[in-house]
Amino acid sequence: MPWNQEPLKRLIRKVIGASPDPRTPDERFRDEALPHLPAVTRFALSLTRDESDAEDLVQETYLKAFRAWDQFVPGSECRAWLFTICRNTHFRTSRREQRVVAHEDAELEALGAAALHTAAQADGLDDVFARTEVMEAVRAAVDALPDPFREVVVLVDLEEQSYEDAARILEIPKGTVRSRLFRGRRLLQERLIKHARDAGLGAGKTPEIMRKGTSNDD
Amino acid sequence: MMTEMLDCDAVMRQLWDYLDGELTPDREEAVRAHLVVCNRCHPQHDFEQSFLRALSASRREHSRPDAIKARVLATLRADGFAA
Repeated sequence: MPWNQEPLKRLIRKVIGASPDPRTPDERFRDEALPHLPAVTRFALSLTRDESDAEDLVQETYLKAFRAWDQFVPGSECRAWLFTICRNTHFRTSRREQRVVAHEDAELEALGAAALHTAAQADGLDDVFARTEVMEAVRAAVDALPDPFREVVVLVDLEEQSYEDAARILEIPKGTVRSRLFRGRRLLQERLIKHARDAGLGAGKTPEIMRKGTSNDD
Repeated sequence: MMTEMLDCDAVMRQLWDYLDGELTPDREEAVRAHLVVCNRCHPQHDFEQSFLRALSASRREHSRPDAIKARVLATLRADGFAA
């Protein structure tokens, strides 16, 4: 959904005209945009998956943001605005076309997650995500997600953006954010449950049939 | 006002929205009311919640935040930033 900022900007210019902000535009940039540097850096890192590329991307993002500062609507979400610039810059420089994702039914994805939980329970992996040893696997699984799912997961689950803000940043409908998010989460869970199973993390609860097989009772 | 009664299937379909705080207050209350009494949906809720916590905790910071800040500031100053 395109985000038409013009009417809001006109209104804000009127209001600002009545009581001007005592700060210079550069001071407002310092106070409002610079504090988001750690978050923008994390987001850049998640897009590039490379520290040095992330550094270049952050630099370019802030330079563009500074040059376009008069277009920022005071009072709106500055972090989301910076994420938008960061993402657009990344996809422009990497010249990667986003793979078109077929429409997914978000609610079917939600039900798929329920089925995964049942499978994890059966393997004694109810608490798998509470274990510290899966943390590296979680990072690797996020890195391995295809871009359209990864960026939604990063924005909503790691950077705590609402569906609405993620939709604005990615310039896609809110319903698409929701379906990609749920699909991304399901892909992550599938991968992590498989990882835990392969690593023998569920071995604490050996299935009944195997215990019988190794029993010395008789 | 009576809280809407939901069945397990309806709750499962809305569980992510619920955990993300994206439901309307009425709907959120209806899901919460179901989760309190349902021993099928409640473990599912806890499982998904622990997944979201792990995901949130997996956030990765850049190893040289100070270098990035210095570089960004230098770039901005070269472009006229004066604050």
